Amino acid sequence: MNDYAVEAKNLVKRFGDIDAVNNVSLMIPKNSIYALLGPNGAGKTTTISMLTTLIQPTQGSARVAGYDVLSQADKVRRNIGVTFQETVLDDALTGRQAMTYHGRLYRFSKAENEAKTAELLAMVELEDAADRAIKTYSGGMKRRLELARGLMTEPQVLFLDEPTLGLDPQNRTKIWEYIQDLKQRKGLTLLLTTHYMDEAEQLADCVGIIDAGCIIKEGSPKELIDQMGKDAITMIGYGNRERYLEQLGQLPFVQAVTTAGPITQLAVDAGNRRLAEVVTLANTEGFTIEDISVAKPSLADVFLKYTGRQLRDK
Amino acid sequence: MNAAITLWNKQMSKLSGEETFGLLIQPILWVVLFGVGMKGVMGSAVPGGDDFYIAFMAPGIVALSALGGAIAGGSVWLDERMRGIVKEYLVAPIPRLSILLGNTFTIVTKSLFQAIVIFVIGVLMGAQIANNPPGWVGGILLVAGYSIGFAGIALALASKTNDPGAYHAVIFLLNLPLLFLSNALYPLSSLPQWMQIGARINPTSYVVDGLRQLVLTNGNGLASGELLPLWQCAVAIILFATLGMWLAYVAFRSAIR
Ligand SMILES: Nc1ncnc2c1ncn2[C@@H]1O[C@H](COP(=O)(O)OP(=O)(O)OP(=O)(O)O)[C@@H](O)[C@H]1O
Ligand SMILES: [Mg+2]
Repeated sequence: MNDYAVEAKNLVKRFGDIDAVNNVSLMIPKNSIYALLGPNGAGKTTTISMLTTLIQPTQGSARVAGYDVLSQADKVRRNIGVTFQETVLDDALTGRQAMTYHGRLYRFSKAENEAKTAELLAMVELEDAADRAIKTYSGGMKRRLELARGLMTEPQVLFLDEPTLGLDPQNRTKIWEYIQDLKQRKGLTLLLTTHYMDEAEQLADCVGIIDAGCIIKEGSPKELIDQMGKDAITMIGYGNRERYLEQLGQLPFVQAVTTAGPITQLAVDAGNRRLAEVVTLANTEGFTIEDISVAKPSLADVFLKYTGRQLRDK
Repeated sequence: MNAAITLWNKQMSKLSGEETFGLLIQPILWVVLFGVGMKGVMGSAVPGGDDFYIAFMAPGIVALSALGGAIAGGSVWLDERMRGIVKEYLVAPIPRLSILLGNTFTIVTKSLFQAIVIFVIGVLMGAQIANNPPGWVGGILLVAGYSIGFAGIALALASKTNDPGAYHAVIFLLNLPLLFLSNALYPLSSLPQWMQIGARINPTSYVVDGLRQLVLTNGNGLASGELLPLWQCAVAIILFATLGMWLAYVAFRSAIR
C-alpha cells in the first residue's frame, strides 16, 4: 500500500491553554525503529496517545499502518500494540490471565490464545511466574509482561512509551534484544520514547528530538552525532565565563559552543590536540577550569545542544 | 458483546475469597441486625407483628445490597480509570459500549447473588417464600433492572470525577434517602405525607413492593394491602434501568473516546 507505517501531519493537541503537542509531523518507514527523545513534558506521551487513538488530535491528521486514526480507529487498533509509560496491569490477575484476557478482547480462539500466551511468556522469560498474581512481580517482570501483552496480537506497529523505565541494566539489555529481534524477525515498526540516550543510540534507525511540543531535530543517530563535530570538550569552571566563551567561539577549530547550566561544551576538530589551546586561553582570560574532558560526542551531547538541558532521568 | 463478556469474566475471576466472603456477610449482617433489631420497633407497624418483619424488610435489604454493589462497581471503574487500566481496553478494537456493559454485568451478577443469599437467610429466619418459580424469575428481573439503574448512575458519576472522595460524597448523599425515603423499612401509610411522595418517586419502593408480591407468600397482607401495583413496579424499574444506562452512556462517551 505504502512504505510508511506512521504518517503524521501537523498534529496539534491542546489541553485547555497548554499546547502539549504543537505541530508534529512524523514519517516512519516500515520495519524501522524510531525513537522520540525529549525532556519531561515535551509531548512524547501525548503524541503516542494520538497515534494510538487514545485521544483525538486538536488539529492535524495521522495514518498508522495505513489507516486514519480518526475515521478508521478500529482498523488502527487492530494493527497496533501499545505499552504505556506507567504500568497498567491488573494486580489481582496472574500473568497468564492478563495475557489471555487480552487475547480474548481481540477475539482469539482458545487454542490460539493459549499458544500465543505460552510463546510470549517464554520469550520474556516469565513462564515460571506465569501463574502467580501480578502483584508479586518485580518492576522488571511487570515491564516484560506488558511487552509480551503488547505483542500478543501480532501488531504491525508497536508503540513503547519508555519501555525500560526503572529497569536494571540486565533487564534493559534484555528488552533491547527483544526489540531488535522483533524488528528483524517479525518486520515490525516500532515507535518508542526513552530518556536513555544510549538506548536510542543503540536501537533507533531514526531519532526525533521533541521539546515543548515540537520536533526540533530529526535524523539517524549517526548523522546527528556527526553534525556535532569530531570531538567534544566538556568543562566546568568559574571566572569570567562570558568573555572566555566569546574568545573560544572565535578560535578557528571550534565548531560550536553550547552551555547547559555550569557545563560548557565545545565541538572541535580534534580534541586531544586542541585541549592545550583551550586551557591556555582560559588562563589568559581569567577563567579557572575545574574539570575538563575530551570525548567523542554522543547522542546525549546532541540532545543537550538542541534542548539546552540535561536529561532528568526518572 | 464478546468484549463485554470478556470484561465481565475478568472482573468475576478477580473475585477473591475475601471479597466473596464480604458479599455474603454484608447482607447477612443487614438481615440479622436490621431484622432482629428493628423488629421490636417497627414490627408493630406490620400486620402480624414481629414475626413477619423479617419477610417485610428482606426486599429492602436486597435493594440496599444492590445499591452497595453498584457503588462498589463504580469505585472499581474509577480506580481502573485512575490507574490507567482502561487504556488497555481503549486501544483494543472493541466497542466503547462493551466496556460499560462489562462493568454493568459484573455489578448485576453480584447483586443477584446477594439477593438470593438474602432470601435464603430470610427463609432460615422464618420468612415465607411463595412456591412460585415464575414469580422468582420476575423478582430476579426486577432486582436486575434496579441494579442496572444504579450501576448506570454509579458508573456515570465515576466517569465524571477523578476524585474517589468526591465520588463517595455524592453517593453518600444519594444513599440515605434512597433507603429511608421508601417503603423498604416501614409501610407507606405509616409515613408522613411528604415522605410518601418521596417514596413514590424512589425506585427502591417499586423494587421492594414488586418483590413482596412476586416472592413472598403473604406480601400483600404484610403491607396492609397497600402495595404499589405490580405493573407500576415493572414500568418504574424499566424506566429506571433505561435512565441509568443512558446516563452512564453519556458520561462514558465524554470520559473515553
Ligand atoms: N490530560 C492532560 N490534561 C492537561 N495537560 C496535559 C494532559 N496530558 C498531558 N498534559 C500536558 O501536556 C504536556 C506534555 O505531556 P506529555 O505527557 O506528552 O509529556 P512527555 O513528553 O510524555 O513527558 P514525560 O517525559 O514526563 O513522560 C505537559 O505539559 C503535560 O502537563
Ligand atoms: Mg511521557
